[in-house]
Formats: sequence, structure tokens, C-alpha cells
Amino acid sequence: MAAPVRGMIGSTSIGNTTSFQKKTRSKLVSIPGTRPSVQNGQLLVSSGVSSLDYVIGGGLAVGTLLLVEEDRYDSYSRMLLKYFLAEGVVCGHELFLASARDHPDDIMQELPSPIVDDVAGMKISEGQSQPSDPENPDTMKIAWRYQNQPKVQTALASSVRFGHYYDVSKTMEPELRQAAKCHSFYQLQETPVVTASSPLPSPYHSLLKSIQTVIRKEGFDGSTPQSKVRNVLRLGLHSLGSVLWGDDVCCKDNPAHCHALTTFLYILRGLLRTSLSVAMVTVPSHLTQNRAVMGRIIRLSDTAIALESFKGSEKETNPLYKDYHGLLHVRQLPRLNCLSCEVPDTKDLAFKLKRKQFTIERLHLPPDLSETTVSP
Amino acid sequence: MLLDVMQAGGGFILLEGNIISGEDVHVLGFESPETQVCAGLDSSSVQRLHFHKGFPDPLGWTCRSSFTVERFTSQHITQLIKDTQHAQASVLVVDSLSMVLRHHDPVVFCQTLQELRNGGVIKTIIGLLHSDLHQQGIVGIVCHLAGTVISVAPADNERLSVAKTTRRTKSGKVMQEEEYFSVSEDAALSVQAKPRQPGHVQRERDVSEADPTSNLTFNLRLSEDERKAKEKVALPFVFSQQKKSALLRPTPGSGRIVYEPDANDDFDEEDPDDDLDV
Repeated sequence: MAAPVRGMIGSTSIGNTTSFQKKTRSKLVSIPGTRPSVQNGQLLVSSGVSSLDYVIGGGLAVGTLLLVEEDRYDSYSRMLLKYFLAEGVVCGHELFLASARDHPDDIMQELPSPIVDDVAGMKISEGQSQPSDPENPDTMKIAWRYQNQPKVQTALASSVRFGHYYDVSKTMEPELRQAAKCHSFYQLQETPVVTASSPLPSPYHSLLKSIQTVIRKEGFDGSTPQSKVRNVLRLGLHSLGSVLWGDDVCCKDNPAHCHALTTFLYILRGLLRTSLSVAMVTVPSHLTQNRAVMGRIIRLSDTAIALESFKGSEKETNPLYKDYHGLLHVRQLPRLNCLSCEVPDTKDLAFKLKRKQFTIERLHLPPDLSETTVSP
Repeated sequence: MLLDVMQAGGGFILLEGNIISGEDVHVLGFESPETQVCAGLDSSSVQRLHFHKGFPDPLGWTCRSSFTVERFTSQHITQLIKDTQHAQASVLVVDSLSMVLRHHDPVVFCQTLQELRNGGVIKTIIGLLHSDLHQQGIVGIVCHLAGTVISVAPADNERLSVAKTTRRTKSGKVMQEEEYFSVSEDAALSVQAKPRQPGHVQRERDVSEADPTSNLTFNLRLSEDERKAKEKVALPFVFSQQKKSALLRPTPGSGRIVYEPDANDDFDEEDPDDDLDV
């Protein structure tokens, strides 16, 4: 049985005893804002949030689909979508934004502004492993040999910096935003196309047509010979499956178009695989009445995460969660051209949105110092 | 868009607030007669209030109403508002969205609301939805579409009702409030602060404050002198500050073994048994 080959793109397995050869590209594709994965050699782009990149294995592979299950009031999933698009602007990728509820231009105007200097990044990595000062009054008296040991590592970060940091309190400058090419699709302004033979309802059909047109015209699938530098297309699809897309999977147990969203995702993934593009789709999963549909949707996407916000639920007052804004569940990680995927070492992940960073941390139980003892 | 989710009738206090602020209010009344809605409003306010009669014939069976449920589409409503004079940004109040939802497809209904919201003619839509008349999914999608949701329910106290407001801003912030209010005979709304719930919280705190060291046969407490003596005790492995910092500094060879040769290790090659008397 062949083990997954760790190595750079382009290296054939010279020293291996098996005849298994990984299908790799012959030369290194160098596109700004991307890097090859150290695990399986895929070309990765950053999702805009560096701790999310760490959780999903280094970044989003080009040609894959990231599914985000929205939190109850769609505040953090919308924030993730904005980070994704802002990262595309900063790296110089092309953008495609589709939305049914808010106009895409409104979403584009709310993109966070990037933190240009390296100060923020440096401070974040320094603060974790800083030893305490020996002259500090609260040095330990008896266990003083341990005072230089680093505290429990809760933040997830890799050693190599990939991606940028953003300041949520400021919006991106219009010059920077307009430098990036953005195609938008607003469902309200589209004329309904009568598609009697298509299995998809009209909004999904027109959205797919629009994506396909953009990919073909701009040459992301290699159909038109590109004289300019190759680039990656980032697709952001907001709140698919909600009622405004003409889909009733959210309001009925037995929807009339129960296969609409699954068909759409299947076709979308086919389009992504044959082009240099990466997509992020948010779905209001808390509204879907049929659990089986959600399971199918997760299976049809590559990477799937779910956000659960504490706002409005009884977990808001739980002292365990007082530092965080919500929980992050990783539902699925893809196995792209390899046998096993890199999973994070813990499943208890929580996120918090600070002004300069969206951090995802391991949720670890603090020591139980309560007065009441629990008898076994 | 504001959505009022209620379990009992009422809710016309909102009208007075809107009319006072100078906006045109259009009411689609399917469930209450005009007289009940306009009771208590003065004449200038009544002029700005446009009531489209749907009650008592919302489906148009006897052709007595001016606005039927089937006509709840974005084109009809926009036309209706443009027909009235001074069509500025107006407020649309729908007496019962439940009535409309019973006779329209939920997907089409939500798309109609979205078109009305983005049409430019209407500034705010206030709708009343009876949450116990619909399935969970339909209530969920309408609440998801709304920017503000107010849920009204009777409180434990008989006279008061509780209103839970959830407001979503464009930037993604969610604000939640809970208010207690009561409606008097002449439809005047009085909002009160949360009434104090007797007993629950105080009782829990009393239990945890009992001192465990009080009723024992041995003494667990320290007097002042005893504490000073305790702190003066020299602990083993307590070194001076320089030795501590020297030990804390990471040395390059931290696994070094330092050995000073013993008397027995002095091995003389010419005299191995060490018994020559030289």
C-alpha cells in the first residue's frame, strides 16, 4: 500500500520501492497569493483568516469548495466571507460575488482594511512565548523552576505566515478595492429565465450560467490562451439555499426542489475542478428542516465548517465560554490526491472576533477551582 | 423590516409612533376593522394614515373590500402607494402576514417582501405574524428575513407582557432587549423595567458562603504571629536570586555532569595495589 508522498510539486518518487506515482504538474505554477501545500502538494490560497487556514490544513486548495454553515444571525459567516474577498483583493485575485439579500456592492464596501505593516503579526507571535521577568513580583516562590515555561498554547498558528491581517473597524480604501476586478451577481436584478427542461430553479441556473461565462471569458479554465499572468478566481456565494434564491429547502420538510441545491453544488464543483478557482459558499443550515439534505450538501462540498454563535442562546452565560463569541465545528476535510488528510488535533475549537483578528482557539478547560465538590 | 411576532392580538401602538414622526403610513388591514385601528388618533394623524380595507372580506368573496389577499404582490402594493398623494418614503404596516402566508407560496412571499424592501418606495415594513399558526420553518425564514424581530408573550405576572427584541444591524451586530409592558384601556402603552423575581438568586449565594473552617474540633486558622513564623521558615531549594536566575537561564549543555575525582580514582600505573613502600 503506498503511503502518501510528502514532497514538492514536480518530484518523481525516485527512491521509492513502489511504482505508485503521484499525478503532479510538471512545473511549478507561480501565481501571486498562492503557495504549495506541504502535505499533499496542492496549490493553496489563504482564506483570509490565518487560524482558519491552520485548521483546514494550510489553506484552501485551488479548485475546491469551502462550505460555511451560517450562525443564527449571519454575523460571523458574513465576516468570514468578507475576509475571503478582502484577501482576494490584497493578493490581486479576481472576485465573483453573488448574493440575493444584500447588493454585492454593499458587501464589497464593507470589506475590512488590511493591516499593512508587520507589527501586528510580530506582536501576535511574540506574546505567546514570552518568559516572565525574574524581578516580577508574582514570580513563583516554590515552583520557580517552571516560571519560564510557556503557558498553554491555545492559539493556533503555523510558523510560516501565509495570508494577511485585517482591521475590522476600518473599511478598505476604495482605490485598493477598485484595483481588483469584481464580477457581481445580484439575484433581485436578474430576469427569470424560463427553463422548463432544467432540473434547477431559475436563480441557480442563471447563477451557474454567469459563473461559467466568467470562467470561459477570462480564461481561468485554460480555454483562451492567456498572454497575461495566470490568476485565481475567488467565488463568494452568500446564503445559498435561503428563500431569496427561490429554494424552499429552508421552509419545508419535503421541499419541492429537494435536489436543487445539491445539483447546483455538484455542477459548481465540476466547474471549479476544471478551472483555477476557489469558492466559498455560506448556507443557512439552521433553517433547513430536513437533516438529510444538510448531510448531502456537506458530502458534496470539499471543506465544510459550521459556526455556532453564542448570541441569544443559553451558552452565552456559561462561564466556560466567556472569552469567546462562538464555537467552530469542522464537519469535513478533503482528501485531495492523497489517502489521508491532516486533521486538527482537537475538535473543540472556539472563535472570537477581535478588532484586528479573527482567532480560532482550542477550547481547553480551566482547572476546576470551585468550592463545591462533586462526589463520584 | 420590522416583524412583530405575537400570540395575542394588538400592536397598533406602533402606528402612533410612526405618524407622529411625520411619515405616511399605509395599513393593509386584513384582520381588524378600520375603526379599531384609528381609535385614539387625532385628525391630522388620521390624514396621514391610509387604511386599505381588507376586513371583513380579505379574500374578496363578497366584493366588499378594497384590497384582497391575492393582490399582495410587489407591483400592486407599489402602485397602491404611488396612487396616494405625497408618496414619499412611507411605512407599510401589514395587519397580518399570517393571512397572506396562508394564501401565497412562502418562497414567492419572501421574494415579494425583498422586492418591496429594495423598491425605494417603502422605507419600513412592519408586519404582524402569528407564530402559532405556521410551521416552524416558515416562521424561521420570515424571522431570518427581518431586520428586527419583536416577540410578544404573556409574562408570569398576569398584568404584564414581555417583549423580546432582537435587532440586527448592517455591520452584523446583534442587540437583544427584553422589556415588560402593559396596555391600558385606551390603548396607551407603558413600558416597565423588569420586575424583580423574588427568591431565586439570593438563595443560591447563601449556601456557598458557609465557612468550612468554623465548626471543627481542631484549629485551622493562623494568628498573626503564627503566620509570620510560617513565612520565616527556610524552605529547602530556596536559593538566592542570582543562583535562581543562573539556573533558569537556558545553558547550552543542560545535561552536563560535573564530577570531581575521588581519592580512590587516583590510579597509579606502577603501583596498582598501592602497597609499595616507596
